[in-house]
Amino acid sequence: MSETEQKLRNEARALLEQGRVDCIIGYEAGSLKFTTTPLITADIEDAERLVINPFITNNLSVFLGDVTGKAGIVAKGCDSRSIVSLIQDQQVVRENIFIIGIPCAGVIDLNKIEKLTGKDRDELDDIARQGDRALVTVGGVKKEFQAKDVLMDDCLSCDMPTPQEYDILLDEIGPMVCDKELSRSQIKELEDMTPEQRWAFWKNEFSRCIRCYACRQVCPACFCERCFVEESEPQWISPLPRWQDNLIFQLTRMIHVAGRCTDCGECQRACPVNIPLRSLSKRMEEIVDELFNYKAGTDKDAPPLMATYKSEEAEDFIR
Amino acid sequence: MSQESEYEPKILGFLCRWCSYAGADLAGTSRKKYPANIRIIKIPCSGRIDPLLIIKALQTGFDGVLVSGCHPGDCHYQTGNYRARRRIAITKKFLEFMGVEPQRLQASWVSASEGGKFAEVVSEITRDLKEISPNRLFVDERDRTKATE
Repeated sequence: MSETEQKLRNEARALLEQGRVDCIIGYEAGSLKFTTTPLITADIEDAERLVINPFITNNLSVFLGDVTGKAGIVAKGCDSRSIVSLIQDQQVVRENIFIIGIPCAGVIDLNKIEKLTGKDRDELDDIARQGDRALVTVGGVKKEFQAKDVLMDDCLSCDMPTPQEYDILLDEIGPMVCDKELSRSQIKELEDMTPEQRWAFWKNEFSRCIRCYACRQVCPACFCERCFVEESEPQWISPLPRWQDNLIFQLTRMIHVAGRCTDCGECQRACPVNIPLRSLSKRMEEIVDELFNYKAGTDKDAPPLMATYKSEEAEDFIR
Repeated sequence: MSQESEYEPKILGFLCRWCSYAGADLAGTSRKKYPANIRIIKIPCSGRIDPLLIIKALQTGFDGVLVSGCHPGDCHYQTGNYRARRRIAITKKFLEFMGVEPQRLQASWVSASEGGKFAEVVSEITRDLKEISPNRLFVDERDRTKATE
């Protein structure tokens, strides 16, 4: 067990014992190898189940709307940005949450490891991070990889591995392994295509979509109580998963979360048919930055992007 | 095919009731000539425009969408057009990334006294849209009914 993990358990236990929080939202080991699953608990003994490792993928801020009372939440850098964004949108009250900031050196993408080693995840013995390296043990043999080859794409462009907003910070980490070029390689590919090719690409991707709405459910920025896709009067899109409606759903969703999306990459990880949604959300984050010099979830006192304006901006396309 | 010379783009115009709609009215009463390619929907304010409406218009088969409102500073509700500007700017860039030609989403500021400008805007947009092919974005070759009809 790592030192940070022990610190977290002690902290969670103390918080619950002293009644400073009503529940803890954190991660516990998942039922499969190299996975974690969210743990929401009010039981003091459950503090021992909490874990921190390179597989804590979930953005836990999505649960903040579902718990009552004061919640202690374990937050990586990107999660803390999502929390700040929720505060900006007045979805949560800062005083009602206790943020346990944890440093995050990036989350490991098992698909990349499987590709590199040529083995199924069940055949691997151990995966560990060491600075800018990742050590994978297969059948007693240690293999070394560059960290940038095994981390999630969204982690490769992370500017804030350490939370900026927290009540307690468990640890600091050194410089992050970053490769912004690699992180947006698919966006680059798409930008080099003609509009027709790009549309054909997305049409093809969205023809796989089964409209399970997992992307929407895991997204902390998607907090509408009633989504436009479920409206029936008028019915904006057909409930049938035709590619046209799938595409309209995702396109509109992405525009709706502009300025709230922190590029945590959860939508893509949740997608059961592997649509590269992160290319869309990342591009949207870039657009927001290019046009309005705005980065989501970095200032809890700033008004939300779409609730404000400057008298002179983004005028060039208007006749 | 002779389609190119015959192609008349269909444009959906969302015009704000305080400025642009009155501007369009003025264009008519002052007998300004402009292409008959635009179909107009009167909206309370350009700030009413949700990106969904724009995308829906494209799905319905319109070749282009125009959103027009009051000049900055002139909004009847003070800030509606500023909010619309942010939204449309983002929508336009994002649609472009998805593969929608940038000409398909247009925006303009037309005041109630600018009948001439409204006629010009519609002429320009019609000309721009004639340069690109008709909107077949949401047409599925497997569908028997065409989305445009």
